[in-house]
Amino acid sequence: MKTTPAVREVFGFFGGLAWKTGKTRVFALLGLIPVALAVVVRIMLHGRTGDMVAVFTEILMVFFLQFYIVILALFYGTSITVEEIENRTLPYLITRPVPKPAVILGKYAAYGLLMFAMVAASLVPSYFILNFGRMSRPEVLKAFFINLGVLGLGILAYTAFFAFLGTWLKRAIIVGLIFGFGWENVIQYFPGSTQKFSVVHYLKSLLPYRPVSGGGGRGVALLLFRLEPTSPPGAVLALAAVAVVFLALACWLFRRKEFLPEE
Amino acid sequence: MSAVISASHLSKWYGNVLGLNDVSLEIEAGITGLLGPNGAGKSTFMKLVTGQLKPNIGLVTVRGRKAWNNPGVFQAIGFCPEHDVFYEDMTGREFVAGLLRFYGYARTEIRDRTDRALDLVGLTADQDRLIRGYSRGMRQRIKFAQAVAHDPEIVILDEPLSGLDPLGKRKLIRLIKEFKTQGRTVLVSSHVLPEIEALTSQVVLIHQGKVLAQGDIPYIRELIESHPHQISVRSDDPRALAARFVGDRSIQKMTFAADGRTLVVETPNRDGFFGRLTGVLLEAGLSVEEISSPDDNLQAVFEYLVGK
Repeated sequence: MKTTPAVREVFGFFGGLAWKTGKTRVFALLGLIPVALAVVVRIMLHGRTGDMVAVFTEILMVFFLQFYIVILALFYGTSITVEEIENRTLPYLITRPVPKPAVILGKYAAYGLLMFAMVAASLVPSYFILNFGRMSRPEVLKAFFINLGVLGLGILAYTAFFAFLGTWLKRAIIVGLIFGFGWENVIQYFPGSTQKFSVVHYLKSLLPYRPVSGGGGRGVALLLFRLEPTSPPGAVLALAAVAVVFLALACWLFRRKEFLPEE
Repeated sequence: MSAVISASHLSKWYGNVLGLNDVSLEIEAGITGLLGPNGAGKSTFMKLVTGQLKPNIGLVTVRGRKAWNNPGVFQAIGFCPEHDVFYEDMTGREFVAGLLRFYGYARTEIRDRTDRALDLVGLTADQDRLIRGYSRGMRQRIKFAQAVAHDPEIVILDEPLSGLDPLGKRKLIRLIKEFKTQGRTVLVSSHVLPEIEALTSQVVLIHQGKVLAQGDIPYIRELIESHPHQISVRSDDPRALAARFVGDRSIQKMTFAADGRTLVVETPNRDGFFGRLTGVLLEAGLSVEEISSPDDNLQAVFEYLVGK
């Protein structure tokens, strides 16, 4: 079987399976947290609009950008290879007439779509609840679609990187946690070119940025603080490059690496 | 007859552990049993044949084509892994049909092949249940179904009979034997001698990564029979029992175990000894608590062969 139809078939196989796992149920439940918080905030802010709504919308984006998509990509990205090895199901896939890279690419696509659906299912209601009454404003609606697109790009880039880690390392989750919640959270605040070695730098460069003036908004502005943003086309290119390069590396490694039995 | 699977000076090691050591084999059409104790190298050999592992030294080919990183080879191979592992959140039908997708069949053909495979292993009624809810026997059968659903010319089965009840074993043995009549090549591993005997007379004995013997069962039996069997008899008066056997030419050695109640006999003619034992016990009026053969297992057979 050629690579493209093989990717399609692997996508179909795991596309159906991924939705039924316990892991998906747990992460879908995690996605309900911002929806619940949005309801609480909406009730608390009853009758108030403007900056406070914008502030909480940014808090929402911090949750998605720096926690939810990172944790999703970490667990689904590394599991592309790791779950097959740990569950010992790899022989079912690599003793079939499909090129090995198709396994990585098909699972990446299936898990990517699943993660995007989970993020959208969480972002849409929470964003709409928070911005209830403002969604008819073109700038709010536009910001919503940009946010959703940025999160989609983040999923693609992070998942590719974690897929590579999972194929390369035995303890990919630990290294991934250090990268996702250590490196990413620190490096983005380094001036000069150092910040460009984080994925989140490019994601933040694409977000609609609105510094909040006065009040409690300062802390939140810091959360979404962009040091020296890259231009939007440059950021999109950088994220696409991260996704392509690490996905290609994962495929290359998966093809040539032997996955030896643990015993 | 030309070899379907060919291994030439094949070696594989895991770090410092030797998995397979300079194995040269030619496997022809029909059923070949790969026999050896756990850790002998059977699974390593099968993983090399199915391209899951890359040889450190030597070459393994299937129909003249290298197995490692050559997905085209797998169109003709069906592999049933040893471990009891599945995509547990799938139903039996989803599992078989899902894996058939990788052969490029049209949807209708996948459906038909899935129906046939499930029917073959008797799981049609349970096809829509999640695999996590299957019994051990059902899991073995669904694993077998996924290996044969695409009608492979070469079927490689790693311990396919483990976990099956006697009826299930008999049915699977019959199915595997049918493959032989269809001209297919079946390589089946087991550490249980009677299981292999029930399947085929062509056997490869493997131990500590080396092929000890290859050939038909009578030849292997001959190797085994040339070594004495140990028989242990626990009775109330082992010395009286031993006295009855003094002078018996078929007995090479008699010892008493540390418990003082067990007589251990070494004889090359086990059946003859058992025949005489019954008569001796009746004549002497001795009561026996237990009779066992400590070396009547494959591990002991291998120890004989290795020590030869």
